[in-house]
Amino acid sequence: MKTILDIKNLTVNVGQDKILNNVSLSIPSGKIIGIVGGSGSGKTTLGLSVLNLLPTAMRVAAGSIIFEGKDLLALPSPALRCIRGFKIGMIFQEPLSAFDPLFTIGAQLDETLAAHTTLHVNQRHEKISAVLKSVEIEDPDRIADSYPHELSGGLRQRAMIAQAIIGGPRLIIADEATSSLDVTIQAKIIRLLQRLNQEQGISILFIAHDLGLVSFLAHEVAVMTQGNIVEYGQAQEILNDPKHDYTKALLKAY
Amino acid sequence: MSSQWSMIVSSFSRRKGAVICLWILGALYLLALIAPCISVHRYDDEDRNLSYCPPTTVEFFHNGHLSAPFVYGRHFTFDEFHRRIYVMDKEKRYPVRFFSQGQLIHVQEPGRLYLLGADSRGRDLFSRIVYGGRVSLSIGLLGVFISFSLGLLVGGIAGYFGGWIDAVLMRICEMFMLVPGFYLLLALRSAVPENFNSVQVYVMIVVILALIGWASLARIIRGMALSLKNRDYVAAAKLLGVPDVVIIIRHILPHTVSYSLVAMMLTIPGYILSESGLSLLGLGIQDPVPSWGNLLTEAMAIVPISFAPWILIPGLVIFVTIVCFNVVGDALRDALDPMLVTDRNT
Repeated sequence: MKTILDIKNLTVNVGQDKILNNVSLSIPSGKIIGIVGGSGSGKTTLGLSVLNLLPTAMRVAAGSIIFEGKDLLALPSPALRCIRGFKIGMIFQEPLSAFDPLFTIGAQLDETLAAHTTLHVNQRHEKISAVLKSVEIEDPDRIADSYPHELSGGLRQRAMIAQAIIGGPRLIIADEATSSLDVTIQAKIIRLLQRLNQEQGISILFIAHDLGLVSFLAHEVAVMTQGNIVEYGQAQEILNDPKHDYTKALLKAY
Repeated sequence: MSSQWSMIVSSFSRRKGAVICLWILGALYLLALIAPCISVHRYDDEDRNLSYCPPTTVEFFHNGHLSAPFVYGRHFTFDEFHRRIYVMDKEKRYPVRFFSQGQLIHVQEPGRLYLLGADSRGRDLFSRIVYGGRVSLSIGLLGVFISFSLGLLVGGIAGYFGGWIDAVLMRICEMFMLVPGFYLLLALRSAVPENFNSVQVYVMIVVILALIGWASLARIIRGMALSLKNRDYVAAAKLLGVPDVVIIIRHILPHTVSYSLVAMMLTIPGYILSESGLSLLGLGIQDPVPSWGNLLTEAMAIVPISFAPWILIPGLVIFVTIVCFNVVGDALRDALDPMLVTDRNT
């Protein structure tokens, strides 16, 4: 199995405190990997460090993140800009705050395309329609002309996914992508992510606090607590036969 | 978005005073724009025989009979204090035509029409006020445009990038802010040659005003940018590979627009006053080119005011303009503040 992203011995500090402690994780290409953990377990930090978007107070003390043979942590920012959004997409937890309220959805999708491609205006417009359709939005033109606050939560999250996949990424990082949605919409978004994974072969790093949800979606699951990955394995294995105390506690709570 | 815009418009138009002020400002700018058409005489067209001639009007009756519009000629005699007394010369009549030769009111030479009286050299005050508006009103707009461009850019860059860039830019701002404005104005003015022509002086005043004004705005915009850059959509744009400059221009600065717009409206009167102050002291626009400030230089002594009070009218025009800008700016602030709108409705 080919590996698309290889995190090796990653340690992230805030001052003296370790947020991530020697974390290693590799994502096989075409798979969905879930990361589960409570608040403050370091799962979001892990996702952000892949994109080199850590808050200024945090510092990578050691380790490397290899994506397509290049260490993302050592890459100069122009090269990194080509990878972000283009090869690695990100889905945020709260789509309302992840879209600029002053611009239409279409304008913001267009911005990404304009930054990464040399497509003509009309071609970009067509591509935006196509991408919105592929995330199961019925009338892409109306949605593209809408402002973020005019859409429902589910539609917004679909638009968010459209923004993540518009550059044609090989990997999507979804940080609590469905936590702010109600259960029925959540199920639809999960199915959409599965479909993208199967049809386009996009690998997904799915970060969530809900072990049940993660093990339903992900092929393999990593359980994190206090900056460490304490358990890693097939989703079913972890559900049926948890090894670590924290995983057991998590299952009990669920 | 469109509904929000209409909310702002309706909230603004509920303030009758502000709407009236906006119309007054619009009229003043229009007058300045079409000054060559609206003025009766050229701004430097002088007749020293008619020094401080009181206001005159267009006549329609001659010896009790209706006649085509005309103005009487004037000559003067002296009273016991050797002051000029102007009397109508009923023998001399000069026809007045409306909408003729590219002017709203055209008086045949050498007849003169002083709607607001004449100044010491017998130049028409009304025409000079209208021409002066071109300088005084446009200097405010141009100065604010330049200083706000600078302030928004520097503030946006400092707030967005932070770190040493922020520190350096903010120290530069403070250097400009720590000198009291009017003294900085005088110092900068004295740093440039005095034999400038009026166009050069105009450009110089605009540049000086802009240099003084940008720093305080930059600091406020920096503060806004500091909080705006932590929004998720900025992170999202960064993540999607949008260049930093584009992020500042598209995702940071547009969110400061309601503040900037109000600040702009409240800054323009300050610039108009500064220009007037400089010109009043003879450091700004030079005679014979009029500005509202240098028109007032004649009103600096009490004697001319006592027998020609109309030379104070430019001061009244400045006053009205500044009050209007402040009222409009105030109403705009209320209209752009969504919290205040709901307060008023409940």
